[in-house]
Amino acid sequence: MGNFFQLLVNEQLKLYIRKSTWIMYILIALLVLGLAFINHNAMENSRTYEASQDDNWRQTLQDENAEMQKEMEQKEMMQGAYTGQIEKNNYYLENDIQPRSYDTWQFVMENKFLLSLVSLLTIIIAAGIVANEFKWGTIKLLLIRPITRTKILASKYVSVLLFALLTLLFVLIFSWIVGALFFGVNGLNPHIVLNQSDGYAYVSIIGEIIEGYGLQLITLVMMATFAFMISTIFRQSALAIGLAIFLMLSGNAIVGFFSHYDWAKYILFANTNMNQYINGSPMFDGMSLGFSIAVLAVYYVVFLVISWVFFTKRDIAGH
Amino acid sequence: MTKTAMELIDVKKTIGNKDIIRGLSFEIRKGEVFGFIGPNGAGKTTTIRMMVGLMGLSGGDVRILGNSINSDYKSAIREVGAIVENPEMYPFMTGKQNLMHYARMMPRVTKERIQEVIELVGLEKPIKEKAGKYSLGMRQRLGIAQALLHKPSVLILDEPTNGLDPAGIREIRRYIRKLAEEENVAVIISSHLLSEIEQMCDRIGLIKNGEMIAIQDVNAATAETTDVGIEMEAAPVNQAAEILHNEHGINATVVNDRLSLHVERETIPKIVQTLVNYDIQIYQVVTTKSTLEDKFFDLIGENTIG
Repeated sequence: MGNFFQLLVNEQLKLYIRKSTWIMYILIALLVLGLAFINHNAMENSRTYEASQDDNWRQTLQDENAEMQKEMEQKEMMQGAYTGQIEKNNYYLENDIQPRSYDTWQFVMENKFLLSLVSLLTIIIAAGIVANEFKWGTIKLLLIRPITRTKILASKYVSVLLFALLTLLFVLIFSWIVGALFFGVNGLNPHIVLNQSDGYAYVSIIGEIIEGYGLQLITLVMMATFAFMISTIFRQSALAIGLAIFLMLSGNAIVGFFSHYDWAKYILFANTNMNQYINGSPMFDGMSLGFSIAVLAVYYVVFLVISWVFFTKRDIAGH
Repeated sequence: MTKTAMELIDVKKTIGNKDIIRGLSFEIRKGEVFGFIGPNGAGKTTTIRMMVGLMGLSGGDVRILGNSINSDYKSAIREVGAIVENPEMYPFMTGKQNLMHYARMMPRVTKERIQEVIELVGLEKPIKEKAGKYSLGMRQRLGIAQALLHKPSVLILDEPTNGLDPAGIREIRRYIRKLAEEENVAVIISSHLLSEIEQMCDRIGLIKNGEMIAIQDVNAATAETTDVGIEMEAAPVNQAAEILHNEHGINATVVNDRLSLHVERETIPKIVQTLVNYDIQIYQVVTTKSTLEDKFFDLIGENTIG
């Protein structure tokens, strides 16, 4: 096991020594800063109960509701535009919960869509980690060591997951820090009223963050593994990146296109979205959480086995 | 302890239905430099790739210190250091980082050892620069350094003189000899140019169309040398040819104002003496082809050599 750790060190070094990897992180950082800036500016105008920290928050909420009600009645265009907000405010009032002002926890929660960027970057890394060794020609020197090819491949795959994890942590921590600077911190485990599948509920933001990011990790891992497989088969990264990103973007469309077939539920992308079980509305009849997990597991194992077969069994011939 | 470092036993490689290697058998002894010669496309690189496990064997076996590359890969490859084709390095890492990278993949390579090989190949100065900026010669040296890190018993160098200037070739020749003589390493060097590696090899194997067609002991070949081809720059050249014919019965041909002839080694001083006596101006006398090269030319057929 000792030398597996050394292999991981090697793979991580090869990733983080390169400038292109750092550019990815800089991109994420700029995006987070930009989002914070836009949010901050938008917030300036709409913080109605922000100043009212004390007991008159109830009054503020009621005033806000009345105002929105009036606006909806007056203007044809605004019909129903605020019903959600009013409902939310009523939930606060009914349950006697003082609303929290927008803070870094909510900022982090909203940034969960950044995970698709993390997926994209992970796909790029996964597509290159084997293919680049062939491109550079270093694969020959890499494989003539007293280490089995299986172990070398495993170290590369684990490195991809490690990259995804580190990048995810970077998004979380950096968002939190930037959010804290822009919007402040409201306690260590703040709660918020959110629209859930069964109406409004008072939930922990941290729980929401874990759920929001966690569910997207499924797609991330599946597509990264897919890109890893394509890259070990064809030994070039461009194809792997292209295919994986194309499938990731068009996954839902593919499922939609075949949706009238019975076998559509076995398509990978019909199963990557676990929200369908949380909302209680599966995409196809006969699908359950267990079914999706089984389908995902089969795809995952197939991807890995194909990668392994191609990497360990094939000759390393000339260019 | 056996003296055999590496042994190939009826090694075969078939790709599709083409026989690339058709049953190679030979062995390399410890402390020996073995030249692996053949025209381009003869199967040198394929054989080397099989020796180091980059390609699977279609038949036969390769044994390194008795360990089979087929059944005991790790023990076998542990004793091998190699460059296969070009010495490709990670261009974005420094020379040192490249060496550290490979050092981590092998047991018991100390920092001191890394420093030692850097000094051995004379890369102390540029070792902190990115390998992408290295010249081919520097990469070649870094490749050799990388292959020596773990003190292998067998060193395999595929075309190590490729892209090197004559000074570089001489240097490589020097430390390959040193490795073989002082560290008892078995060295296998492939090349398509006999002249480049002839001087550093103890034995030379000639491969053609995937078959070993001759193995020749270099010292034995030069020892039994009696008949040498020489070229002589002399003036007037036609008169010189005539004198040689009359005095020694040698038929010399005149090519480009030079005399070309075949004589016994011992007669060279006599010929020169005679010509000097006849007031012929001699500018230079050169031996043209070694017998080894002649021999290999005959075996390969001159028209096929790359």
